[in-house]
Amino acid sequence: MKLRRYEDLNLQELDVMKEIGSIGTSHAATSLSKMLQKEIRISIPQVRVLGYDEAVDQIGDVESLASATLVKMTGDVDGLMLFLFNLDFANTVLDRVIGESYHRFEEMDQLAYSALTEIGNIIICSYINAFSQLVNVDIDLSVPSATVNMLGAILTVPIAEYGYDTDKLMYCNADFVMDGKQLSAWLLMLPDIPSLNNILEKLGVS
Amino acid sequence: MEKELKVGIGDMKLNRGEGRIITYALGSCIGITFYDPAIRLGALLHIMLPARFNDKDPNVFKYADTGIRETLRKLAAFGMMKSRTVIKIAGGAKMFEISGNTDFGNIGQRNAASVKQILQQEGFRIKAEDTGGSHARTMYIDLANGDVVVRSFGRPERHL
Repeated sequence: MKLRRYEDLNLQELDVMKEIGSIGTSHAATSLSKMLQKEIRISIPQVRVLGYDEAVDQIGDVESLASATLVKMTGDVDGLMLFLFNLDFANTVLDRVIGESYHRFEEMDQLAYSALTEIGNIIICSYINAFSQLVNVDIDLSVPSATVNMLGAILTVPIAEYGYDTDKLMYCNADFVMDGKQLSAWLLMLPDIPSLNNILEKLGVS
Repeated sequence: MEKELKVGIGDMKLNRGEGRIITYALGSCIGITFYDPAIRLGALLHIMLPARFNDKDPNVFKYADTGIRETLRKLAAFGMMKSRTVIKIAGGAKMFEISGNTDFGNIGQRNAASVKQILQQEGFRIKAEDTGGSHARTMYIDLANGDVVVRSFGRPERHL
């Protein structure tokens, strides 16, 4: 049966998405680990289908600043991929990559921004690579775009993009653990509904 | 503490007298405040998309066209006079810039255009606006005096 909304996903289908998320996230963590030359562990990813308000509550305060890298997917899967992280994560990464850390997002310069964009890009690309091999689909990715903005507003981007089809977000989150410190980052892979059906069909679960 | 009503995404609240109505983190969405100073009646509408295409969608406040009309209808029922009403808007930012894909991310601009067009059709003038740019905004209206404040990060608060 074809899905018409994200919330139509049944438990088995959610499990499949969780498995895919898990494989994608571990690839992403491997790339990050190579780049930072540090051991990185990840928690078991969670896949959830949530309304906007619930999603914001899960991730943090609406007005708090977060950084995000966004890539648009086209090809066999249409949709958005968003990598979202807080200042703690940004600082840990920047400290390793450019040897700087910042008290606030506003203090960051161009170099820090491009480092963060690139890291988001690498993480997204490794996730998509793993995903497309597993599902056997071809996905083209746009040039990454990054922002530092209010968390609530960043999350409205996918909601507005798919606002005519659904009020829900499907997101997969994983905590990265580095040096015993838990760093929160969220990877949101947001296929549109036809693509989600396509993915499930390819995997033989729909 | 001062009474504060929170408006979610695709939502509208109205009240009379005192306190605030607030909406957080407007990205590409648009916040529209309506205020009738004579009776201190105010409303804040938070729309997300320019127009409703599916007539069966019950969520009227999500869209500029149905949202503005429904808000005006409700305010009129509470005694708002068109000639006295002050309207201010904020939001409509472009959150992400994707090179080579100009269509993507200009939803904020389309929202702003739609809001202006619909208000004009309904015979209202926008007194002040803070739209565009790439930064998110939090907006609130003080019902005691109709003062509308927009705050963002890394820049001073702005009274519209």
